[in-house]
Amino acid sequence: MSNLDQLIEELKRDEALGEVELRLAGGESVTAILDDCRAGMARVGELFQEGEYFLADLILSAEIFKSAAALLEPHINPEQQQKALGKVLLATMRGDIHDLGKNILATLFRVHSFEVHDLGVNVEPEDLVQEVKDFQPDFVGISALITTSFESAKEATDQLEKEGLRDGIKILVGGAVTTPEVKTYLGADFQTHDATAGVAYCVNAMGGC
Amino acid sequence: MKTDVMTSQERLWAAIHLEQPDRVPLVPTLLPEPAAGLAGVSQATIASDNSEVVKAVFKVFDDYGGWDAIYPASYIPVQLQLGGVFPMKIKVPGQHIADDIPFQLEEVEILRLEDYDKIAEVGFDAFFNEDFLWRVTDVAPDEVRGHMDNLMIGGASFLEECANRDVQPLFLASGMHPFFKLSLMRSLVPFTQDIYYNPEPVERAIRRMTDDLLVEQKLSAINTGLGMWMCCEERAGGYFFRPEIFERFWWPYTKELVESQWSEGIVTLFHLDTCWDKNLHYFKELPKGSAILELDGTTDIFLAKEILGDHLCLKGDVPAALLAVGKPEEVTNYCRERIEKVGRGGGYILGTGCSVPPNAKPENFRAMIESVHQ
Repeated sequence: MSNLDQLIEELKRDEALGEVELRLAGGESVTAILDDCRAGMARVGELFQEGEYFLADLILSAEIFKSAAALLEPHINPEQQQKALGKVLLATMRGDIHDLGKNILATLFRVHSFEVHDLGVNVEPEDLVQEVKDFQPDFVGISALITTSFESAKEATDQLEKEGLRDGIKILVGGAVTTPEVKTYLGADFQTHDATAGVAYCVNAMGGC
Repeated sequence: MKTDVMTSQERLWAAIHLEQPDRVPLVPTLLPEPAAGLAGVSQATIASDNSEVVKAVFKVFDDYGGWDAIYPASYIPVQLQLGGVFPMKIKVPGQHIADDIPFQLEEVEILRLEDYDKIAEVGFDAFFNEDFLWRVTDVAPDEVRGHMDNLMIGGASFLEECANRDVQPLFLASGMHPFFKLSLMRSLVPFTQDIYYNPEPVERAIRRMTDDLLVEQKLSAINTGLGMWMCCEERAGGYFFRPEIFERFWWPYTKELVESQWSEGIVTLFHLDTCWDKNLHYFKELPKGSAILELDGTTDIFLAKEILGDHLCLKGDVPAALLAVGKPEEVTNYCRERIEKVGRGGGYILGTGCSVPPNAKPENFRAMIESVHQ
């Protein structure tokens, strides 16, 4: 394991970002540095799944990754851009303005090389449907902290079905108030309270590991 | 249908004292927003008029046959913001969001790192009233008095309606745990970073806020004469934080609060959202009967019964989603299972996970109410 992997695994923010800067200054390739960041994040994900790490640890590691990616971004040239593993459209639907869980999820998807388009909060059903047409995602992730957004989520999933857009995508629903009943209600494919499980579901669906 | 032989208060306190009541007591968390939904009133109306809140709450209470104690709900959101209960920006229906969307708390980073020490120095109330409130509210200083007067009038009307029905509020004194309050004011991500990378100022603020709460809430709870105060915490548990964080930033302060109240015979009602499975054993350290754990359906209530059943009363945990999208028979089955297993031997109050949702189906709410009588 490289030093950078270890620093991210141990959530040593300042040291990890210092290491990124040092390696950039030393002329190391952005891809290699990013790979080490991803390896550290993968280890955090494993520890979270094993119950050794908690949501707070996931949040901190995601913030370190975001900061590292921001340092690396100006140095990435188009040839070095990795092909996205898949496309994810995220939204918190009309009736709900909360975005903490969705934002964590967005970062974790980016860590796993997904292209993410985040529609934000209080999203109208028709806007989600239009974005499915325009962005053509593989996955639609609907986040909910309060139950009043279930109705607008239902409107959106019904409309996707009606317009023949449903077959090509997997719909995930997550957030504190969601349950298996909500998955059934929305006709979704996956429900979870665990952001890492949501990402793992999509990685598996794309044939990744 | 069984006949009640205890009064509501006898039944409630038998459960709290871990004795067997005549049936499991029922106390749903009916806040103004679900009351509006079930009473057919708009969210904008309920968020702007205290008298409409009281009318809606008691209409639902009467329409559904009543229950054993009522959650205090006579406020409109801005009043709780002004009073520091919701120390953050709010989105009010009819004002910031559409009329039919319930009011919501907007969690953004407003508390700054240097503010922790200001709180530690002058206390939360002074910091909030002189500084922080004006970073979050739309209300002008000369409008505050009018809002607070309306809150008092609404409260008096609420108590009058309770007396008319011979039912008591479950509690009238309440406080957000300092840990949770700071997390909301700072917002989750920066607060988490502070806890890990800059813990001392956070600790100093929590210390001061706890000291203040020890005095204020004790007096407040004694004055209500209800023998209970409510402490809200949604983030300190094992869903979010490691045990060492919990042990350093939450548990010692919580024990102090509970033991201080208990020395006056006052029970602490913990409103614990998210999963607390990994923290349940800590609550064994509290004096027997000194607290109630109100769970939201994500903590395993059967595990809680196993660990704490002979020590503390449990309350909950019908999930909001079940009431919003489930079927009445699913609600009945869910409630009956808890009544039979968690209620066995006493120490259980049937309630909702967090709150009744604003879009609860009337038939589901009725199924929950009726389940205690079957």
